[in-house]
Amino acid sequence: MILHRLVRLLVVLLVVTFLSFALLSLLPGDPTTQILGVSATEEARAQLRQELGLDDPLFVRYAAWLGALVTGDLGTSYITSVPVTEALVERLPVTIELLIAAEIVAIGLAVPIGVAAARRAGGTADQALTALCFALLSTPVFVLGVLLILIFAVNWQVLPATGWTPISLDLGWNLTSVLLPAVTLGCGQLAVYARLLRADMIATLQEDYITLARARGLSPRRILWRHALRPSAISLITAIGLNLGALIGGTVIIETLFGLPGVGRLIVDSIFSRDYLTVQGGVVLISVGYVLVNFAVDLVYAAVDPRIRYA
Amino acid sequence: MRRRLGKGFWIASGWIGLVLAAAVLADLLPLPGYDETLVGPPQAGPSLAHPFGTDSLGRDVFSRVVYGARVSLGVGIGAVLLGLLIGAPLGLLAGYRGKATDAVIMAVNDIALAFPALVFALAVVAFAGANLRNVLIVLGVLGVPAWTRLVRGTTMAFAGREFVLAARALGVRDRRILWREIVPNVSVPAASYAFLGMAVVIVAEGSLAFLGLSVQAPTPTWGGLINEGRTIMENAPHLVLAPSLVMFLTVLSFNVVGDRLRALTDVRQSGLEHVRRAAAQPLPTAPHTAGGQLLQVADLRTHFVTARGVVKAVDGVSFSLERGRTLAVVGESGSGKSMLIRSILDLLPGSGVVRGGKVYLDGDDLTVFSPQEMRQVLGTRLAAVFQDPMTALNPVRTIGTQVAEPLRVHLGLSRKRALAHAAVLLASVGIPEPGRVLRRYPHQLSGGMRQRVTIAMALSCGPDVLFADEPTTALDVTVQDQVLRLIHRQRQERNMATVLVSHDLAVVAEWADEVIVMYAGKVVERGPAADLFERTRMPYTEALLQSVPRLTDPAHHRLRVITGRPPDLAALPSGCAFHPRCPYARERCVTEAPPLFQETREHLYACWYPRGTEAALADPVPVDPVPAALGDPGPAGRDRNGSEPGGPGHNGAGRTGPDLKRTELAGPEGADNRGR
Repeated sequence: MILHRLVRLLVVLLVVTFLSFALLSLLPGDPTTQILGVSATEEARAQLRQELGLDDPLFVRYAAWLGALVTGDLGTSYITSVPVTEALVERLPVTIELLIAAEIVAIGLAVPIGVAAARRAGGTADQALTALCFALLSTPVFVLGVLLILIFAVNWQVLPATGWTPISLDLGWNLTSVLLPAVTLGCGQLAVYARLLRADMIATLQEDYITLARARGLSPRRILWRHALRPSAISLITAIGLNLGALIGGTVIIETLFGLPGVGRLIVDSIFSRDYLTVQGGVVLISVGYVLVNFAVDLVYAAVDPRIRYA
Repeated sequence: MRRRLGKGFWIASGWIGLVLAAAVLADLLPLPGYDETLVGPPQAGPSLAHPFGTDSLGRDVFSRVVYGARVSLGVGIGAVLLGLLIGAPLGLLAGYRGKATDAVIMAVNDIALAFPALVFALAVVAFAGANLRNVLIVLGVLGVPAWTRLVRGTTMAFAGREFVLAARALGVRDRRILWREIVPNVSVPAASYAFLGMAVVIVAEGSLAFLGLSVQAPTPTWGGLINEGRTIMENAPHLVLAPSLVMFLTVLSFNVVGDRLRALTDVRQSGLEHVRRAAAQPLPTAPHTAGGQLLQVADLRTHFVTARGVVKAVDGVSFSLERGRTLAVVGESGSGKSMLIRSILDLLPGSGVVRGGKVYLDGDDLTVFSPQEMRQVLGTRLAAVFQDPMTALNPVRTIGTQVAEPLRVHLGLSRKRALAHAAVLLASVGIPEPGRVLRRYPHQLSGGMRQRVTIAMALSCGPDVLFADEPTTALDVTVQDQVLRLIHRQRQERNMATVLVSHDLAVVAEWADEVIVMYAGKVVERGPAADLFERTRMPYTEALLQSVPRLTDPAHHRLRVITGRPPDLAALPSGCAFHPRCPYARERCVTEAPPLFQETREHLYACWYPRGTEAALADPVPVDPVPAALGDPGPAGRDRNGSEPGGPGHNGAGRTGPDLKRTELAGPEGADNRGR
């Protein structure tokens, strides 16, 4: 089982890296002109052709590129002359902090919402929370972000609209600067999670072991949180993994919107400065990270559900 | 169909139609051009001439939003169609062919789903160029895996159905089957997904546009408008709010329409939604005397309010039970046996249920207990064991945690002491190595062991009454007897009363002191076990007895079964509910429901023509002196009867309120008080 999963992981990683690599071949016209601009010297172009191995077959180039990738070498930007890996590593902590904070917001709110809605399915609270989730689900992340900025930064002026304070500089300011982006990013996920949890909770609450827990005179709160939550959380955990893709996509927008110096912002900036190697590196980083996190989620499953652990 | 879709569906459809019409007809509408500058003062708020105001170049925002809809809906429709055209055939192929084809397609699909879609879309558009064609192709292709999965799932569900299998067996060509049988059935889920997919694509296109990577200026896009507006949000919030609102409403509408269409095909969901909340008023209870018995159930009713009408799962059940005795409740599946137990213990599902009648424990009326008071009784004085030990234990908690929990909650034991006590309990129900079992999870135990664990849990706080709902049905025959012996021994040791629900009459004959037979939620015969088996009166009981296979039957003897099906509780037959299946039914059985008649003081039955008596020929004397069937005695007559508790042969029938007067009932006090 584990071996099967590892093989699958390797295949997915190969496909993902290959596609990231092949992105460069999408460039219309002469890639060297695209990358270096029209004013580049002929020597610079020749050097680039050689570095990109444009004259070799695609798979040979991919193998060489992959070999370099494994050692952490994603090339050096022709625009900024900074090694791509270095630029990414510098930006990565911001994105990771944003992701974690967003997940904390999403899960932290989704669990009580899902549980409260499932407690009396079809009741007033359930209907209100379900409608709220549906509305959140239909709100594009940048629309929500703009609205929150309008409310909290422009009207009430309680939180900064843009800017970033690194955690090493000041923890309080750091948290202030990550709060609004994290809430924005987390709210879209919140709805997905809460709906899943609610549906699973409702199913769980109809199980015999829940009825029997009630028959033992246990309090509703105890039954909801200690008996029903964990068996209902399995879809939620899968969703956390699967939705990481949406969340990472969201960081690109959130980082642009809130001016956070993360990987997503780097990708967008690099797109506009034609820094294609950095874009490619960012895409590789995000895709591989996403695949690895999904793999880890699979393993977490087992910890939550002992039935899988021993199967 | 119209009603099931709901109001929201039509409002959402209306909005989509409006936006679509505006996008298509934008050139014909009397609007300023989207890139026409200074049609009004720059950054002006909404006005009559410019409903969404103007931007910093004095362009009409309403016009820009309308033209933006062209891009959003155009990319949306195009990408959804592209995803459908590629994904649906793949899904049909995988779902219909199965085996290797399916494995290959789904493996590729799984890998495709493992991508962070938006980042890839972003990268591809960045490298290939930001224009309408590229955005449409990228978003369409990224939608393919989801389409494939959806169509495959639906196809598989239908490819296994009888009509498709039959067509295949008849040699109908695959293509014809696909077009005639499968495609029509896939179309509703596909239509639903098309709308949900539109919402996804519109958001994705908006995101790209927001980053400046969709259709380029001067063509306005919703995402682009929001991005332009946010830089001057302080001065002109309408620049952001107008396109945001339109975009939100559009995405919401597509989601609503898709969601409602999906609900059409989702039986589970549509069933849930239509259950109305039951009326709060309690059901009337027949007058009765609360006796000194350990457990007394009087005129208990449990009605479910469903879309198809009121289901009377338990309809006026009465009995009483003394310490140390075993009462068996027998009947077919769906006769209300299990619901009776859940109703006594107040373990009914939350909404759509009404409970009436009384439950007394040592004279205390449990039906007036608050939930909190009830919890003090449950587990400590009343305990339950259910049919299926596979589902009775929480799969993700250890046995130890589960067995120790009531001890900690009710008796306030520390974790350590509770676990030690749990080990003693497990040993007492015959579980070897209890210390090891405590650390195990339910799935690691056999069915018999699990049932022993649930019995140990039920017994942990020393209950007075144990409710065992078919405790052995799901177990191996060899284990069944062990479990029943265990329950029996515990009952004797602890001087408990036991309510044993069973459809196994051999079990009942061996262990029960008293028996009640249920049919369609009602008690149809009741009495001491020996008496009831010897002098069976109700034809249903007789049929149950006859359907028990006997060892003395010759080999290959045809099994006797009760003909017909258990009745539909939402549409019960008139008169005696058993009459359609009863071989002795006469005209009266069709028109009038029989009340409970007395065979002896304890033995009651509900039948106009009971077996083994001369009454099968003549009309019997009912228990109730004034059965409603003989005509309405009038309120005065009812009151007089009701004010005579302890009157001979008396019970609560006929005084259950006008709407229930056809329901004849024997309260337990009727029989019990007479001898005092």
